[in-house]
Amino acid sequence: MHEMSLMGGVFEVIEQTISQHNVKKVIQVKLKVGELTNAEPDALQMAFEAYSKDTIAEGAELIIERVGVIARCTKCQKEFSVKSMFFLCPNCENSNIKIICGEELLLESLEVE
Amino acid sequence: MELGRREIEVMANLLNSNDTQAEKNRAHFRKNNCLAINMIGSPGAGKTSLLEKSLPLLTRNLCVGVIEGDIFTSKDADRIAIYEVPVIQINTGGGCHLDSKMVNKVLPDFDWTAMDLMIIENVGNLVCPADFDLGEQFKVIVLSIVEGDDKPSKYPVIFRNAEAVILNKMDLEKLTDVNMESMKRDILAINPEIRIFEVSCRNGDGLNDWINWLSQKVNDYQEHKD
Repeated sequence: MHEMSLMGGVFEVIEQTISQHNVKKVIQVKLKVGELTNAEPDALQMAFEAYSKDTIAEGAELIIERVGVIARCTKCQKEFSVKSMFFLCPNCENSNIKIICGEELLLESLEVE
Repeated sequence: MELGRREIEVMANLLNSNDTQAEKNRAHFRKNNCLAINMIGSPGAGKTSLLEKSLPLLTRNLCVGVIEGDIFTSKDADRIAIYEVPVIQINTGGGCHLDSKMVNKVLPDFDWTAMDLMIIENVGNLVCPADFDLGEQFKVIVLSIVEGDDKPSKYPVIFRNAEAVILNKMDLEKLTDVNMESMKRDILAINPEIRIFEVSCRNGDGLNDWINWLSQKVNDYQEHKD
Protein backbone atom coordinates (compact mmCIF):
# COMPACT_ATOMS: atom_id res chain seq x y z
CA MET A 1 0.00 0.00 0.00
CA HIS A 2 2.70 2.48 -1.04
CA GLU A 3 -0.04 4.76 -2.36
CA MET A 4 -0.04 6.34 1.12
CA SER A 5 3.59 7.35 0.57
CA LEU A 6 2.77 8.69 -2.89
CA MET A 7 -0.12 10.66 -1.43
CA GLY A 8 2.35 12.16 1.05
CA GLY A 9 4.10 13.52 -2.04
CA VAL A 10 0.80 14.86 -3.40
CA PHE A 11 0.14 16.76 -0.18
CA GLU A 12 3.68 18.12 0.01
CA VAL A 13 3.10 19.63 -3.44
CA ILE A 14 -0.41 20.86 -2.53
CA GLU A 15 0.85 22.61 0.60
CA GLN A 16 3.74 24.18 -1.26
CA THR A 17 1.43 25.36 -4.07
CA ILE A 18 -1.28 26.87 -1.87
CA SER A 19 1.34 28.67 0.24
CA GLN A 20 2.22 30.63 -2.93
CA HIS A 21 -1.38 31.38 -3.93
CA ASN A 22 -4.35 32.86 -2.14
CA VAL A 23 -6.42 29.68 -1.70
CA LYS A 24 -9.49 29.13 0.48
CA LYS A 25 -10.39 25.69 -0.74
CA VAL A 26 -9.08 23.01 -3.06
CA ILE A 27 -11.88 21.76 -5.31
CA GLN A 28 -10.14 19.37 -7.64
CA VAL A 29 -6.78 17.59 -7.80
CA LYS A 30 -5.59 16.13 -11.11
CA LEU A 31 -2.96 13.40 -11.20
CA LYS A 32 -1.23 11.76 -14.15
CA VAL A 33 -0.30 8.16 -13.43
CA GLY A 34 1.66 6.13 -15.96
CA GLU A 35 0.82 2.47 -16.48
CA LEU A 36 4.49 1.63 -16.00
CA THR A 37 4.23 2.52 -12.31
CA ASN A 38 2.67 0.44 -9.60
CA ALA A 39 0.26 3.12 -8.37
CA GLU A 40 -3.24 1.76 -8.18
CA PRO A 41 -6.08 4.30 -8.71
CA ASP A 42 -8.48 2.89 -6.08
CA ALA A 43 -5.74 2.82 -3.45
CA LEU A 44 -4.75 6.40 -4.40
CA GLN A 45 -8.38 7.46 -3.96
CA MET A 46 -8.53 5.90 -0.51
CA ALA A 47 -5.20 7.47 0.48
CA PHE A 48 -6.42 10.86 -0.79
CA GLU A 49 -9.51 10.71 1.43
CA ALA A 50 -7.39 9.81 4.45
CA TYR A 51 -4.82 12.56 3.81
CA SER A 52 -7.30 15.32 2.93
CA LYS A 53 -9.39 14.95 6.08
CA ASP A 54 -9.41 18.19 8.07
CA THR A 55 -7.41 20.03 5.40
CA ILE A 56 -8.58 22.60 2.85
CA ALA A 57 -8.59 19.77 0.32
CA GLU A 58 -11.22 17.77 2.23
CA GLY A 59 -14.07 16.84 -0.11
CA ALA A 60 -12.07 17.77 -3.22
CA GLU A 61 -12.46 15.62 -6.30
CA LEU A 62 -9.45 13.48 -7.24
CA ILE A 63 -9.10 12.90 -10.97
CA ILE A 64 -6.58 10.29 -12.07
CA GLU A 65 -5.56 10.20 -15.71
CA ARG A 66 -3.93 6.90 -16.61
CA VAL A 67 -1.16 7.31 -19.16
CA GLY A 68 -0.48 4.39 -21.49
CA VAL A 69 3.05 3.22 -22.26
CA ILE A 70 4.52 4.67 -25.46
CA ALA A 71 8.04 3.90 -26.64
CA ARG A 72 10.34 4.91 -29.48
CA CYS A 73 12.63 2.50 -31.28
CA THR A 74 16.22 3.74 -31.14
CA LYS A 75 16.96 2.09 -34.51
CA CYS A 76 14.04 2.90 -36.84
CA GLN A 77 12.62 5.74 -34.66
CA LYS A 78 9.09 4.29 -34.84
CA GLU A 79 6.87 5.35 -31.96
CA PHE A 80 4.55 2.65 -30.72
CA SER A 81 2.18 1.80 -27.92
CA VAL A 82 3.49 -0.97 -25.66
CA LYS A 83 0.75 -3.57 -25.32
CA SER A 84 0.77 -6.38 -22.75
CA MET A 85 4.19 -5.20 -21.58
CA PHE A 86 5.94 -6.54 -24.69
CA PHE A 87 8.88 -4.20 -25.20
CA LEU A 88 9.94 -4.85 -28.79
CA CYS A 89 9.66 -2.53 -31.77
CA PRO A 90 6.76 -3.88 -33.88
CA ASN A 91 8.46 -2.52 -37.01
CA CYS A 92 12.02 -3.89 -36.79
CA GLU A 93 11.85 -6.06 -33.63
CA ASN A 94 14.68 -4.11 -32.04
CA SER A 95 14.74 -4.42 -28.26
CA ASN A 96 16.63 -1.19 -27.67
CA ILE A 97 13.72 1.17 -27.14
CA LYS A 98 13.20 4.36 -25.18
CA ILE A 99 10.09 4.81 -23.04
CA ILE A 100 8.55 8.19 -23.92
CA CYS A 101 5.60 8.09 -21.56
CA GLY A 102 3.94 5.76 -19.10
CA GLU A 103 6.37 6.23 -16.21
CA GLU A 104 4.95 9.47 -14.84
CA LEU A 105 3.62 10.08 -11.36
CA LEU A 106 2.61 13.72 -11.56
CA LEU A 107 0.40 16.25 -9.87
CA GLU A 108 -0.81 18.00 -13.01
CA SER A 109 -3.02 20.78 -11.65
CA LEU A 110 -5.21 22.00 -8.83
CA GLU A 111 -8.59 23.66 -9.12
CA VAL A 112 -9.01 26.05 -6.22
CA GLU A 113 -11.05 28.97 -5.00
CA MET B 1 -9.40 40.72 -3.80
CA GLU B 2 -11.75 37.80 -4.57
CA LEU B 3 -9.96 35.49 -6.98
CA GLY B 4 -12.81 32.98 -7.46
CA ARG B 5 -12.56 29.53 -8.90
CA ARG B 6 -9.43 28.90 -10.95
CA GLU B 7 -6.96 26.27 -12.05
CA ILE B 8 -3.31 26.25 -11.03
CA GLU B 9 -1.01 24.24 -13.25
CA VAL B 10 1.56 22.40 -11.14
CA MET B 11 3.20 19.49 -13.04
CA ALA B 12 5.17 18.24 -10.04
CA ASN B 13 6.68 14.79 -9.63
CA LEU B 14 5.08 12.99 -6.67
CA LEU B 15 8.34 11.19 -5.98
CA ASN B 16 10.34 14.39 -6.03
CA SER B 17 11.48 14.34 -2.40
CA ASN B 18 12.38 10.63 -2.59
CA ASP B 19 14.21 11.08 -5.90
CA THR B 20 16.17 14.11 -4.63
CA GLN B 21 17.38 12.18 -1.60
CA ALA B 22 18.14 9.14 -3.78
CA GLU B 23 20.48 11.28 -5.90
CA LYS B 24 22.29 12.38 -2.73
CA ASN B 25 22.65 8.74 -1.66
CA ARG B 26 23.96 7.87 -5.13
CA ALA B 27 26.54 10.66 -4.83
CA HIS B 28 27.56 9.27 -1.43
CA PHE B 29 28.11 5.79 -2.92
CA ARG B 30 30.03 7.28 -5.85
CA LYS B 31 32.23 9.37 -3.58
CA ASN B 32 33.13 6.26 -1.61
CA ASN B 33 33.60 4.17 -4.75
CA CYS B 34 31.07 1.64 -3.44
CA LEU B 35 28.59 -0.09 -5.74
CA ALA B 36 25.13 -0.14 -4.16
CA ILE B 37 22.46 -2.59 -5.29
CA ASN B 38 18.78 -2.80 -4.37
CA MET B 39 17.66 -6.41 -3.96
CA ILE B 40 13.93 -6.93 -4.41
CA GLY B 41 11.70 -10.02 -4.24
CA SER B 42 8.56 -11.49 -2.71
CA PRO B 43 8.56 -12.73 0.89
CA GLY B 44 10.18 -16.17 0.85
CA ALA B 45 11.83 -15.82 -2.59
CA GLY B 46 15.21 -16.37 -0.95
CA LYS B 47 16.74 -12.88 -0.75
CA THR B 48 18.37 -13.48 2.62
CA SER B 49 19.34 -17.04 1.66
CA LEU B 50 21.04 -15.68 -1.45
CA LEU B 51 22.97 -13.25 0.75
CA GLU B 52 23.96 -16.04 3.12
CA LYS B 53 25.33 -18.07 0.23
CA SER B 54 26.90 -15.10 -1.58
CA LEU B 55 28.65 -13.31 1.29
CA PRO B 56 31.32 -15.96 1.98
CA LEU B 57 32.23 -15.92 -1.74
CA LEU B 58 32.06 -12.14 -2.21
CA THR B 59 34.08 -11.31 0.90
CA ARG B 60 37.09 -13.27 -0.39
CA ASN B 61 37.90 -10.29 -2.57
CA LEU B 62 35.54 -7.50 -1.59
CA CYS B 63 34.54 -5.47 1.43
CA VAL B 64 30.75 -5.83 1.60
CA GLY B 65 28.08 -4.17 3.73
CA VAL B 66 24.39 -5.00 4.03
CA ILE B 67 21.31 -2.92 4.77
CA GLU B 68 18.38 -5.10 5.73
CA GLY B 69 14.85 -3.81 5.23
CA ASP B 70 12.10 -5.49 7.21
CA ILE B 71 8.72 -4.43 8.48
CA PHE B 72 9.20 -5.35 12.15
CA THR B 73 11.95 -7.85 12.96
CA SER B 74 15.74 -8.02 12.94
CA LYS B 75 15.72 -11.72 11.99
CA ASP B 76 17.39 -11.15 8.61
CA ALA B 77 20.13 -8.90 10.06
CA ASP B 78 20.80 -11.52 12.74
CA ARG B 79 21.25 -14.14 10.01
CA ILE B 80 23.67 -11.90 8.10
CA ALA B 81 25.72 -10.78 11.14
CA ILE B 82 27.05 -14.37 11.45
CA TYR B 83 29.07 -13.74 8.26
CA GLU B 84 31.01 -10.94 9.95
CA VAL B 85 29.98 -8.23 7.54
CA PRO B 86 28.69 -4.85 8.75
CA VAL B 87 24.90 -5.01 8.67
CA ILE B 88 22.28 -2.44 9.66
CA GLN B 89 18.61 -3.26 10.07
CA ILE B 90 15.93 -0.79 9.01
CA ASN B 91 12.45 -1.49 10.33
CA THR B 92 9.79 0.25 8.30
CA GLY B 93 7.17 -0.21 11.05
CA GLY B 94 4.46 -1.39 8.69
CA GLY B 95 5.78 0.29 5.54
CA CYS B 96 5.81 -1.94 2.47
CA HIS B 97 9.07 -0.60 0.96
CA LEU B 98 12.32 1.16 1.81
CA ASP B 99 12.69 4.76 0.69
CA SER B 100 15.75 6.89 0.09
CA LYS B 101 15.41 8.80 3.38
CA MET B 102 15.40 5.61 5.45
CA VAL B 103 18.56 4.48 3.66
CA ASN B 104 20.20 7.89 4.09
CA LYS B 105 19.67 7.76 7.86
CA VAL B 106 21.77 4.62 8.27
CA LEU B 107 24.63 5.59 5.94
CA PRO B 108 26.67 7.22 8.77
CA ASP B 109 26.55 3.91 10.69
CA PHE B 110 28.98 2.27 8.24
CA ASP B 111 32.71 2.66 7.86
CA TRP B 112 33.05 3.59 4.18
CA THR B 113 36.83 3.73 3.92
CA ALA B 114 37.20 0.35 2.22
CA MET B 115 33.62 -0.53 1.29
CA ASP B 116 33.30 -2.00 -2.23
CA LEU B 117 29.73 -3.24 -2.31
CA MET B 118 26.57 -2.28 -0.37
CA ILE B 119 23.69 -4.72 -0.76
CA ILE B 120 20.33 -3.27 0.26
CA GLU B 121 17.77 -6.00 0.83
CA ASN B 122 14.36 -4.41 0.41
CA VAL B 123 11.14 -5.38 2.21
CA GLY B 124 9.64 -8.58 0.74
CA ASN B 125 7.36 -7.22 -1.98
CA LEU B 126 7.42 -7.22 -5.79
CA VAL B 127 5.18 -4.18 -6.18
CA CYS B 128 5.85 -1.18 -3.97
CA PRO B 129 9.69 -1.10 -3.92
CA ALA B 130 9.72 -0.74 -7.72
CA ASP B 131 8.66 2.93 -7.58
CA PHE B 132 11.19 4.05 -4.95
CA ASP B 133 14.75 4.81 -6.00
CA LEU B 134 17.12 4.34 -3.05
CA GLY B 135 20.18 5.76 -4.82
CA GLU B 136 21.38 2.33 -5.91
CA GLN B 137 23.29 1.72 -9.12
CA PHE B 138 20.84 -0.99 -10.15
CA LYS B 139 18.11 -3.32 -8.95
CA VAL B 140 18.36 -7.11 -8.71
CA ILE B 141 15.27 -9.30 -8.43
CA VAL B 142 15.17 -12.59 -6.57
CA LEU B 143 12.28 -14.73 -7.83
CA SER B 144 11.81 -18.29 -6.72
CA ILE B 145 10.55 -20.51 -9.51
CA VAL B 146 7.88 -22.02 -7.24
CA GLU B 147 6.12 -18.64 -7.20
CA GLY B 148 4.95 -19.53 -10.72
CA ASP B 149 5.99 -18.77 -14.29
CA ASP B 150 3.28 -16.10 -14.59
CA LYS B 151 4.90 -13.73 -12.09
CA PRO B 152 7.09 -11.70 -14.48
CA SER B 153 4.11 -10.79 -16.66
CA LYS B 154 2.01 -10.00 -13.59
CA TYR B 155 4.66 -7.67 -12.10
CA PRO B 156 6.26 -6.15 -15.21
CA VAL B 157 7.33 -2.82 -13.70
CA ILE B 158 10.01 -4.30 -11.48
CA PHE B 159 11.30 -6.61 -14.24
CA ARG B 160 11.51 -3.66 -16.62
CA ASN B 161 13.64 -1.74 -14.12
CA ALA B 162 16.08 -4.42 -12.97
CA GLU B 163 19.54 -5.28 -14.23
CA ALA B 164 19.42 -8.95 -13.23
CA VAL B 165 17.03 -11.60 -11.98
CA ILE B 166 18.05 -14.57 -9.89
CA LEU B 167 15.68 -17.48 -10.43
CA ASN B 168 16.06 -19.29 -7.13
CA LYS B 169 15.01 -22.76 -5.90
CA MET B 170 15.99 -24.42 -9.17
CA ASP B 171 16.43 -27.64 -7.19
CA LEU B 172 12.62 -27.79 -6.95
CA GLU B 173 12.02 -27.55 -10.70
CA LYS B 174 11.12 -31.22 -11.15
CA LEU B 175 8.68 -31.12 -8.24
CA THR B 176 6.61 -28.32 -9.74
CA ASP B 177 4.70 -27.56 -12.95
CA VAL B 178 6.67 -24.40 -13.58
CA ASN B 179 7.38 -23.77 -17.26
CA MET B 180 10.90 -22.34 -17.28
CA GLU B 181 10.87 -21.55 -20.99
CA SER B 182 7.71 -19.49 -20.65
CA MET B 183 9.03 -17.73 -17.53
CA LYS B 184 12.29 -16.73 -19.21
CA ARG B 185 10.53 -15.73 -22.45
CA ASP B 186 8.24 -13.37 -20.50
CA ILE B 187 11.16 -11.86 -18.57
CA LEU B 188 13.06 -11.16 -21.78
CA ALA B 189 9.97 -9.73 -23.51
CA ILE B 190 9.63 -7.22 -20.67
CA ASN B 191 13.34 -6.49 -20.45
CA PRO B 192 15.53 -7.84 -23.27
CA GLU B 193 18.68 -6.52 -21.56
CA ILE B 194 18.14 -8.26 -18.21
CA ARG B 195 20.63 -10.89 -17.06
CA ILE B 196 19.04 -14.16 -15.86
CA PHE B 197 20.75 -16.46 -13.34
CA GLU B 198 19.36 -19.90 -12.45
CA VAL B 199 20.38 -20.68 -8.90
CA SER B 200 19.68 -23.01 -6.04
CA CYS B 201 20.62 -21.43 -2.73
CA ARG B 202 19.94 -24.82 -1.15
CA ASN B 203 22.59 -26.79 -3.05
CA GLY B 204 24.72 -23.90 -4.35
CA ASP B 205 24.15 -24.59 -8.06
CA GLY B 206 24.56 -21.55 -10.30
CA LEU B 207 25.98 -19.32 -7.58
CA ASN B 208 29.37 -18.88 -9.22
CA ASP B 209 27.96 -17.22 -12.35
CA TRP B 210 26.07 -14.73 -10.21
CA ILE B 211 29.09 -14.00 -8.00
CA ASN B 212 31.40 -13.55 -11.00
CA TRP B 213 28.92 -11.22 -12.69
CA LEU B 214 28.40 -9.12 -9.55
CA SER B 215 32.16 -8.94 -8.84
CA GLN B 216 32.71 -7.75 -12.41
CA LYS B 217 30.02 -5.09 -11.88
CA VAL B 218 31.86 -3.84 -8.77
CA ASN B 219 35.07 -3.74 -10.76
CA ASP B 220 33.47 -1.84 -13.66
CA TYR B 221 31.88 0.65 -11.27
CA GLN B 222 35.13 1.28 -9.43
CA GLU B 223 36.96 1.77 -12.70
CA HIS B 224 34.15 4.02 -13.98
CA LYS B 225 33.27 1.65 -16.79
CA ASP B 226 29.59 1.38 -15.77
